[in-house]
Amino acid sequence: MSKTKRRSVLKLAGGAAVASMGGMAGILATGRAPAYAQQKTVHWLKWVDFVPATDQMFRREMMPAAEKALGIKINLETVNGNDLQPRITASIQSGAGPDLIMSFNSYTHLYSNSVVDVGALAEEVGNREGGLYKYARAICSDGKMFMGMPWAVIGGMIAYRKSWFDEIGATKFPETWEQYREVGKKLKAKGRPIGQTLGHTFGDAPGFTYPFLWSWGGKEVEADGKTVVLNTKETVESVKFMTAFWKEAHDEGGLAWDDTNNNRAFLSQTVSATLNGASIYIESLRRPDQYKTEKGEFLNKDILHAPLPKGPAGQFGFHLLQSNMLMKYSKNQDAAKEFLKYLHTEENYRKFFESQKGFATPCTAKWESDKLWDVDPVMTPYKVAAKLGQAIGFAGPPNAKAQEGLSKYIITDMYAKAVQGMPAEESVKWAESELKKVYTA
Amino acid sequence: MAVTAVSDATTRPVPRLRRLEDERWLALTLLAPTAVLLGLFIAYPFVEGVLLSLTNTRVGVEGGFVGLKNFHKIWDDSIFRTSVWNTFWYTGVTTVFKLALGLWLAILLNRHFRGKALVRAFILLPFIIPTVLSTFAWKWMFDPTFSVLNWTLFQLGIISQRINWLGDPDLAMASIIIVNIWRGVPFFAISLLAGLQTISPELQEAAAIDGARPWQRFWHVTWPLLLPVTMVVVLFSVIQTFADFQLVYVMTGGGPANATHLFATYAYQIGIGTGLLSEGAAISLAMFPFLFLIVVVQLLYIRRVETR
Amino acid sequence: MIEGALWRKWVFYNIPLILFVFVLLFPFYWMIITTFRPDGELYRPWNAANYQPFWTNNPTLDHILYLFEETSFARWMLNTMFIAIVSTIISLFCGVLAGYALARLNFPFAGGLGTAIFVTYLVPQTLLFIPLAEIIRNFRLGDTPWALILTYPTFLIPFCTWLMMGYFKAIPKELEECARIDGASRWKAMVYIILPVAVPGILSAGIFAFTLSWNEFIYALVFLSSPDQKTVPVGVTSELIRGDVFFWGPLMAGALLGSIPVAIVYSFFVEHYVSGITGSVKG
Repeated sequence: MSKTKRRSVLKLAGGAAVASMGGMAGILATGRAPAYAQQKTVHWLKWVDFVPATDQMFRREMMPAAEKALGIKINLETVNGNDLQPRITASIQSGAGPDLIMSFNSYTHLYSNSVVDVGALAEEVGNREGGLYKYARAICSDGKMFMGMPWAVIGGMIAYRKSWFDEIGATKFPETWEQYREVGKKLKAKGRPIGQTLGHTFGDAPGFTYPFLWSWGGKEVEADGKTVVLNTKETVESVKFMTAFWKEAHDEGGLAWDDTNNNRAFLSQTVSATLNGASIYIESLRRPDQYKTEKGEFLNKDILHAPLPKGPAGQFGFHLLQSNMLMKYSKNQDAAKEFLKYLHTEENYRKFFESQKGFATPCTAKWESDKLWDVDPVMTPYKVAAKLGQAIGFAGPPNAKAQEGLSKYIITDMYAKAVQGMPAEESVKWAESELKKVYTA
Repeated sequence: MAVTAVSDATTRPVPRLRRLEDERWLALTLLAPTAVLLGLFIAYPFVEGVLLSLTNTRVGVEGGFVGLKNFHKIWDDSIFRTSVWNTFWYTGVTTVFKLALGLWLAILLNRHFRGKALVRAFILLPFIIPTVLSTFAWKWMFDPTFSVLNWTLFQLGIISQRINWLGDPDLAMASIIIVNIWRGVPFFAISLLAGLQTISPELQEAAAIDGARPWQRFWHVTWPLLLPVTMVVVLFSVIQTFADFQLVYVMTGGGPANATHLFATYAYQIGIGTGLLSEGAAISLAMFPFLFLIVVVQLLYIRRVETR
Repeated sequence: MIEGALWRKWVFYNIPLILFVFVLLFPFYWMIITTFRPDGELYRPWNAANYQPFWTNNPTLDHILYLFEETSFARWMLNTMFIAIVSTIISLFCGVLAGYALARLNFPFAGGLGTAIFVTYLVPQTLLFIPLAEIIRNFRLGDTPWALILTYPTFLIPFCTWLMMGYFKAIPKELEECARIDGASRWKAMVYIILPVAVPGILSAGIFAFTLSWNEFIYALVFLSSPDQKTVPVGVTSELIRGDVFFWGPLMAGALLGSIPVAIVYSFFVEHYVSGITGSVKG
């Protein structure tokens, strides 16, 4: 109530100010985009795609087609993935902004009060396409509603150099962490370490540290989503392993890498393996002449992908799941819903899927058997990314608390601190106390 | 621009002009535009921000009043304490260097030499290039795999293996400090240069005739006259550095393991990253008392200098 | 003016100056090289044999072409220019007047007002942009250049005001008094006597204000949404950083082209410092 009141007062003040500034009103009027008579505009804010062809396809083909088919105007805006959050926050707090906004992971839970349920569409698409994966459901739904329409998963797999692994006798990608460490040791001895970031970066750091923790049996909280149980033997064990593993097998520059450094390191052939989306491989395909191995062959012929190895407690992955949130403040909810539906028709979604060439894995089961995955065997491992993914906050739900833990980089820093020399027990204790503050607040 | 706008005003009818002969009326008129703009665009957000820090508002969830609970929470937060320490260290070191180097550069530029205009303009480049973009360039230069700095130091025989610029906590701090100094020196230099040029050369010459050595002349003639401008420049630089965001956000995001978190980046991480708007506001506001203290001290100093 | 031998001039002036120029401009040189460097040379580790940091044998214009053909860079430049110029003019106008009032006039609460203007500068932007978004919405300024033109002065005016106060205070009172004795009104004394003397101050405040608006990132990111309305920093980072792939060439080309025109404009202004000064001091 008080909020609305304040706003209306401001509106008055605003009106008066504009009027008093006289000439400016005129400029303002002309500076504004012309109003489209009777035509609704849907404003979609998404990340600027890793695969430039997709955004081009959207801009040049699909958006004009959608405008025609639905009789609406579409304003497609792309921003750097890191900049989505300030936009979402400002839009929600001011009650105006894009109608549809792309969400990364559990942004859906974070902004659940400000979005409209898109459950009907999600279930419809899920039923039509062989079922929605558990991972997508966990991230997009809180059990009562769907805060976001699952869009795609950007899988994180280890990209590695086949010939280099062969040279040290690893003809198959190691299955367990122990084996991976052995292989890494040999690789680093030859000046070809494993590259991994432990920095503050949204993609590759948590994409590695969370599954690593889980595979050793560590977890943040119990299933109740309240009791913090990070400080266990298993977690300490994992931290100790990581510390040694880091020294023996990793490129120690990785502590400050962001999501881009490992791509460059891999493409410049200074690291032998790194956890990443398929962007390294795609880049090497896009400009084959520029990336050649030391033997003069195309680098893209020497790249393979594999999931993170197994630990005592199993094999896990944490991938970037994208969904589209329909915002509550939107004045065009119906049109936006129609547009969302349009994007998710099989025909249109396929155009997106194919333009990604396997970079994005759809959230429904049907696509797993799509022939696109056979086109390039190097990309095949990505087809199960969405199926095998697990959400942060495990064993609890991936809610706002879990998201807070993620954006404070608590798990990542736990490993980073240990790698920098803090005793394992202490860094785990630190991380647990930080997590407790998050979960009890 | 200001000149043309004002000359319109001089054609106003006489009675009003007469009123402007009264200092108070003139002051009011001159301050009006500033008051209107700042009142409209900053008073409300500021009050709103203060109120926000006293509630438990999350994004999209209007919160209730909780008093100083947020401030309690951040006080207990080890990352917050690290950020406070980092901010002071970062601000202190950069300011000292920026002032010393900036003054030196200003003195070097304050004379006649060929290509003067060009040098003076191009020396400003670090300050002109949008921070975000220049920081990306630095990031590229610090990149552990491609660092041109490492290459140069290696070729010069200074190092035998690479320096992990952004990966080591202490070096990461040193790196952001270097970039901040690089960005800030030109601004100090040009502002102080403008200050130097308001000082009449006759004063210098008079002192020279009295037999003062260059260093004495600088210390007794130039420096006191330069002090007011210097203080203002330092003041603003301190505030800007204290609340710095872009540079650290792009370079390290506060990592590795929070070694480079500052007030603003941590506030952003909490307020925007995790949606805890009220806590983010509290962190931002926690800057206020510190800044205020710094500012009061400096303002008092400026007053003292001026009344001397 | 000139004292001592030639070697002295070199040791105390020329060599340090050359060092300064070198260090300050090196990253800039790095951008130039990256702009013209073909992508293939970009991904060479620092310890590789063919690492060639300071030169490229195969310069290319591809990156610049990409910038103009594949992105709306030209448009962003115009937007940024317009926004920066107008907000600088507004801030200078306000700041010069307010600075004059606070520095040279006697009126109640002068000190308090000065401090109040100053305090607004202490409010961190990371806190402000959320409530400001609400105001922008209520004034219906969202996605127009005016959203930035009217909000940038909030951090520009305090600086301009205080810097101008500093310069105004450095000008001897007698200058004004002479004019007043000659029969000039306060207005005239201010406009014709004091302001011309303060030109270097105004210029440096202007340069500062212009640069800050040219650089600003958060407000531009949050308040603008159409691709055609964006400013250079926001446009370049959002189009040329694709998640984990940086388009280094175009990115650096953008930084370069985004700053050279400004540097050229500055080179004229900086010259003005000198003429403005010599004129005023002798006059």
